[in-house]
Amino acid sequence: MRAQFVISEIWIGLRRNLTMTIAVITTVAISLALFGGGLLINSQVSEMRKFWDERISITIYLCNDLSPNKECEENGPATKDDTNKLEADLKAMPEVSDVQYVTAEEAWTDFQERFANNKAMVDATQEGDLPANFRVQLQDPTKYEQVQDSVQGRAGVDSISNDKNVLDQFFGLLDGLKWAALTVAFIQLAAAALLIGNTIRLSAYSRRRETGIMRLVGASNFYIQLPFLLEGAIAGLIGGIFASGFIVAANYFLLSRIQSWFNFDTQLGAGSLLYVIGVSMILGILLCTVASFLTLRRYLRV
Amino acid sequence: MIHFDTVTKGYPTQKRPALDSVSIAVEKGEFVFLVGPSGSGKSTFLRLVLKEEKPSKGRVHVAGKDLARLSNWKVPHLRRRIGCVFQDFRLLPNKNVFENVAFALEVIGKPRRFIRKVVPEVVELVGLEGKSDRMPDELSGGEQQRVAIARAFVNRPQILLADEPTGNIDPATSIGIMKVLDRINRTGTTVVMATHDAAIVDSMRKRVIELEEGHVVRDQSRGVYGQAY
Repeated sequence: MRAQFVISEIWIGLRRNLTMTIAVITTVAISLALFGGGLLINSQVSEMRKFWDERISITIYLCNDLSPNKECEENGPATKDDTNKLEADLKAMPEVSDVQYVTAEEAWTDFQERFANNKAMVDATQEGDLPANFRVQLQDPTKYEQVQDSVQGRAGVDSISNDKNVLDQFFGLLDGLKWAALTVAFIQLAAAALLIGNTIRLSAYSRRRETGIMRLVGASNFYIQLPFLLEGAIAGLIGGIFASGFIVAANYFLLSRIQSWFNFDTQLGAGSLLYVIGVSMILGILLCTVASFLTLRRYLRV
Repeated sequence: MIHFDTVTKGYPTQKRPALDSVSIAVEKGEFVFLVGPSGSGKSTFLRLVLKEEKPSKGRVHVAGKDLARLSNWKVPHLRRRIGCVFQDFRLLPNKNVFENVAFALEVIGKPRRFIRKVVPEVVELVGLEGKSDRMPDELSGGEQQRVAIARAFVNRPQILLADEPTGNIDPATSIGIMKVLDRINRTGTTVVMATHDAAIVDSMRKRVIELEEGHVVRDQSRGVYGQAY
């Protein structure tokens, strides 16, 4: 096998169909970038999920005068007795690791601090609007529902919230984004495969004289097909290189920003970034090579 | 070297088979003319030898191999033992004489040193010494056909198939081409040449197989083209 011969044939083939080659590379790059973006979001979401599942906490709001809850209205605000009993019961639960009582005053101070940059919101609220609550840390965060169920509806308990509900909305958004990216990616990949097929067909047509002679003098099928397959593979590779640029940019501009907004300590490592790039590249090269191969079987008689 | 045993070849779009129970034996070192009008089955015969087609019935043996039993991936190796020359030369226009001949060796993976040694010998054998650097469009038809013959012969095939090699060449030049083919035949290569050219067949006095509508109507050693044409 003579490498120089094969390489020059590939170069000629790619240059001869320059416009088609550019179209192929662009389509492959976009589809792989979207595909890689989808993968990236996916691993980011699962990373964040893991992070938050470990830290999930429950907040139990106690009844106060303003609670709209029907039971609270009937029984009035939580009494000292209710509060003490609840705290004791919570501490007795094996799932619970820590219980912290937050008084209405503390909740108010905390609220003011947290929304210091939103003055209108602070002004519209006054002390006493915020109920006292328990912040419950869990031993095993996956069992938050059991704790939730056991205190739900008890005397003095208004409502229970956990971070999971809030986060699930956010994760839901990211999941939607991921599926949108992957769907578009697959449509684009299909288009890329067709484009490659067409390019290789043109290439095979413009080189039919050479391939005819090669066949006649007994060149092996592999040797005849190799330049075309490599032509496809190289287009895929170049597309993949562009795509990895997009992926790195997406990781830096999008995901890193999201993390700094939310103060998540879930920066994706270089390892998972490389993994995403690697998978996208391999997909691109494989797709192009297989598309070339299938085209050749139809258009290059061997 | 080439054995056809009651070979029939039909094409789906044609009622009459292109070859109808044809039995032909060509032995090693022979020079055979295949004559007959267009559509008599000459090209089909050559295509069957190359295993570009499969016979509908009967067996084809080439160079000791039963082609029906030859798996597809071994066909290239069969073709390395068969050189081919056509009426339309089929040279690569962007390669010079040397490169055109070398191409046949390059694509079957011969080492460069071997190519540099062998190609000039063959270029000289076909009478093109000193013209290695010429491009095909700088050569006459006869010279182009010599290049094609050199390319077909450079790998020293056991069989040389020529499909109307003088069809595009004037009679005077054709004689030169026939001398080259005769020279190749003298090296022990079996030559099968399909032709319409009565003058050439008559002057060479070689074995003549005449086909008509898919049948062998004449097989004669030291024959002539026949009075009908």
